[in-house]
Amino acid sequence: MISAIDVVKEYRTEGRVRRAVNGVSFNVARGEKLALIGRNGAGKSTLIRLLGGVELPTSGTIEQTMSVSWPLALQGGFQGSLTGNDNMRFIARIYNKSFDDIKAYVEDFAELGRYLSEPVRVYSIGMRARFAFALSLAIDFDCYLIDEVIAAGDQRFHRRSHEELFEKRADRSLILASHMGEIIKSYCSRALLMHHGRGSLFNDVDLALQAYNDL
Amino acid sequence: MHKFWRDFATQRRVVGALLIREIYTRFGRQGLGFGWIVLEPLIFAIPVLLVWSVVRNPYEHGIALMPFLWSGYLPILLFRHVGSRMLLFVRVNAGLLYHRQVTIFDIFLARCLLEVISNLTAVVASFALFYGVGLLDLPRDLPMFYLGYFYMIWWAAAVGLIVGGLSERTEWAEKFWQPYSYLYMFFSGFLVLAVWLPDQLRGWALFQPSFQAYEMIRAGMLGNAVKTYGDPAYTGWALSVLTFIGLLLMRDSRKYLVAE
Repeated sequence: MISAIDVVKEYRTEGRVRRAVNGVSFNVARGEKLALIGRNGAGKSTLIRLLGGVELPTSGTIEQTMSVSWPLALQGGFQGSLTGNDNMRFIARIYNKSFDDIKAYVEDFAELGRYLSEPVRVYSIGMRARFAFALSLAIDFDCYLIDEVIAAGDQRFHRRSHEELFEKRADRSLILASHMGEIIKSYCSRALLMHHGRGSLFNDVDLALQAYNDL
Repeated sequence: MHKFWRDFATQRRVVGALLIREIYTRFGRQGLGFGWIVLEPLIFAIPVLLVWSVVRNPYEHGIALMPFLWSGYLPILLFRHVGSRMLLFVRVNAGLLYHRQVTIFDIFLARCLLEVISNLTAVVASFALFYGVGLLDLPRDLPMFYLGYFYMIWWAAAVGLIVGGLSERTEWAEKFWQPYSYLYMFFSGFLVLAVWLPDQLRGWALFQPSFQAYEMIRAGMLGNAVKTYGDPAYTGWALSVLTFIGLLLMRDSRKYLVAE
């Protein structure tokens, strides 16, 4: 269970205070799939960073009784100057997993071949997305945070990532920030619509998408 | 504070992983790689030490110059390198904090450890070199030398914490660090012994932990040849207070963190 209670996040830029997230509350139960929708700048990514635990809320609390992944985004969780293999070694070490297991999974899923022994910064955007995605799925989390990454990559990657994420891990929770109505409709049961830092929770995804389109 | 005292095994694993990552990121995996850890400070220290020893009298105030410079200059390098590595270190490593088991303190520890390991290898290697060509003798009082150097490491780490924590709050920290780390050479105690100072000035100078640690290092290097004023108890207390302030600043810097 993740419960966000009255979460506020403010940023101070050039002496002015900007409220990126303004009193948002919601719960995500085990196995539940929550969509995060809203225009650019509405506070979705800030919320993802808060849920990911990298930034702390200015006020309010986020309680977590399940393990939450790092956000599956293009840049998340790896160092560009290191090779794919070294990034995997690092993740294996800090999560106390076997490097061989992680490597086998990532090799199979990301299909990067010899690129794994080259620095991640030489990867194309699609390759990065595949690598980041595979690496985070190689670690077992109760809840995965996904920030639009599914949009990257080719057809084959789309098919396989859907299979891995939505079929094999159907029992896991998911918080999915996306603009893709189809994906949200087919997988999410609830939606949090962000607008100017405020969040409205919808138990009906179609209604949420309708409200989003009407903004 | 409890966050710093999590499961020791996890922390050791995490710090180890961060250390290896730091080595690969900084030194790469091609060419010399890990060898740079030893070579980098040596390339810095050896020419400087040789030039100093040529332009200055071999004996000043009746003290052999080489042991004086050698034991003085390497701590300067340590201090500068640790401090510089800590500038904005939370911000540039923000991505690592997505991994819940990684704390700011772990990142600090890994960065600091790498500098200390690098510096200590340089201490041993340059000592072996200068000892081999007859420019240095073994320290007269080895435990005292170790104690002094230990305090130097602690001092560099404590200042690193403070500089790192402050740099996340205000850009002033970064701007001040550059001139300070340069001028440090002149007021750290590197070039003076307390006994040379007038009584009043000596009292003030000895407030500074680095001055204290230098006194102990000199006592270790030169033995009874000079009168020294190092006070291990005071230095320990002073550094504890500084470390505590540094930890608070660093913990606080989490609030100011804006991730990518």
